[in-house]
Amino acid sequence: MQPFELTLAEAATALEDRTLSPVELTESVLERIGAVEERLGAYVTVTEEAARSSAARAEREIADGRYRGPLHGIPFGLKDMIDAAGMPTTASSRVRDGHLAQTDSTVTHHLSAAGGVLLGKTHTHEFAYGLTTPQTRNAWSQEHVAGGSSGGSAVAVAAGEAAFALGTDTGGSIRVPAALNGTVGLKPTYGLVSRHGVTALSWSLDHVGPLTRTVRDAALVLSALVGHDPQDPASLRTAPSTYPLPPGGGDMSGLRIGVPVNYYFDRVAPDVEAAVREALTQMTDMGAELVEVEIPMTRYIQPTHWGLMVPEATAYHERTLRSVPELYGPDVRILLEAGELVSAGDYLRAQRSRTLMRQAWLRLFDRIDVLAAPTVPMTAAKRDQQTVQWPDGTTEGVAEAYVRLSSPANITGLPALSLPAGRDQAGLPIGLQLIGRPLEEATLLRAGHAYESARHPIDLGAAVAGT
Amino acid sequence: MTSVELTAGDVARWALHAGLPLPDERRPDVAAVANHIHSVIHTLRELDFGETPPAAAYTVEGVAADAAL
Repeated sequence: MQPFELTLAEAATALEDRTLSPVELTESVLERIGAVEERLGAYVTVTEEAARSSAARAEREIADGRYRGPLHGIPFGLKDMIDAAGMPTTASSRVRDGHLAQTDSTVTHHLSAAGGVLLGKTHTHEFAYGLTTPQTRNAWSQEHVAGGSSGGSAVAVAAGEAAFALGTDTGGSIRVPAALNGTVGLKPTYGLVSRHGVTALSWSLDHVGPLTRTVRDAALVLSALVGHDPQDPASLRTAPSTYPLPPGGGDMSGLRIGVPVNYYFDRVAPDVEAAVREALTQMTDMGAELVEVEIPMTRYIQPTHWGLMVPEATAYHERTLRSVPELYGPDVRILLEAGELVSAGDYLRAQRSRTLMRQAWLRLFDRIDVLAAPTVPMTAAKRDQQTVQWPDGTTEGVAEAYVRLSSPANITGLPALSLPAGRDQAGLPIGLQLIGRPLEEATLLRAGHAYESARHPIDLGAAVAGT
Repeated sequence: MTSVELTAGDVARWALHAGLPLPDERRPDVAAVANHIHSVIHTLRELDFGETPPAAAYTVEGVAADAAL
């Protein structure tokens, strides 16, 4: 096994024990990037020399006995919506030509303080307004989409081009590419992780979170990201500061897992449904209790999500849509233009619907601890595929299908974790989604960790694509 | 509950009203997308909100944002 194949936790142990140095690890990951990047296109920019310099500094500090913790000397990628001082934040858009971030975003600052080694910026669907990330290819099949919008981050992690990466999630943009590339993706509780210095798509729906190869790795990264930030008006003041997991896999004794009887298994590919139901069976074998639940207000999920996101995105882009509209890609430009026609009344209805929806979802958690469901209704689509035909005769856009099962957690602000749960018949990864109460990331992480620990390693995110 | 479709001309006027001049050639496509978006979010009119306030809440500086989602 080469260093780039190690999970974050494995690499951290080796670095702390000094059986591996940050320079060796970073060189291994940079070589891996050199070997696969032309094929995958995960990165906008790779900052090799800066990464080598950071790794050398981490090596000196660890050698001097100044070990900072599990992210010290670990190479990572940042979705190119997230500012890092001295680098452009391109949002994978020509609109940002000439951009240069003056300061670090709060999350970049946290990762730097933890001793992380920034490798570069990863591709996003333009301004995070889409679910495919067309610049990037799926880590397991070049003919299939990476998913999005944090497609570059998911592919980089899945292919060993980073030990972990950060993404953003407005309707599923961390969890969708995580599911399609066989990685773990965590959308934390709204307000838990600061968005200061992160390009907005939709302020009331945006979240920042980690993409990793294992649930344990996600817990390690989350611990470094949390903390109140007065520069983000939504930042929470009270939150756990660490997310410890048991050394072994643990079990699920006493955990009440909600199984939706509606919505989450409607219009879902048979392989995906079978994998998720098999996961539920495994969880009962591990001591969990399954509780059937009805998802509330499902007719209003997409209207509420669109009623919030569409006008907020158009508002963010108001100036540049008027000054340089030709620099946007056609799919994003037309959504921004059409968003001009959403009224304040429409927006307020969506905000009032959100109030009702999150009240109803919180009541759901009176009876359960975690809701389990597919992350996305199907595995990665072909790159030129525009629509999905479902057995009930309906046709759905690929982007609309991908966001359908993930957007409720953005509307409600509830934490949601996606983790690998097997493959379809074509060998493409399937994602299992766990949703929890506000600020109960620890419950999701413990359940996800117990589940992944019980599975064969090939189905773990730890398996690196293309090795 | 009915939803009125906007024509390309309606969309051009509404966009201009919002301060966005739309070139002639873009109007039909923008109208199609705008009508699709409207057909989706129009469904929210079915809900009786009663006294329900919007979720977006103003927070006076110094008062803690909490986890009461």
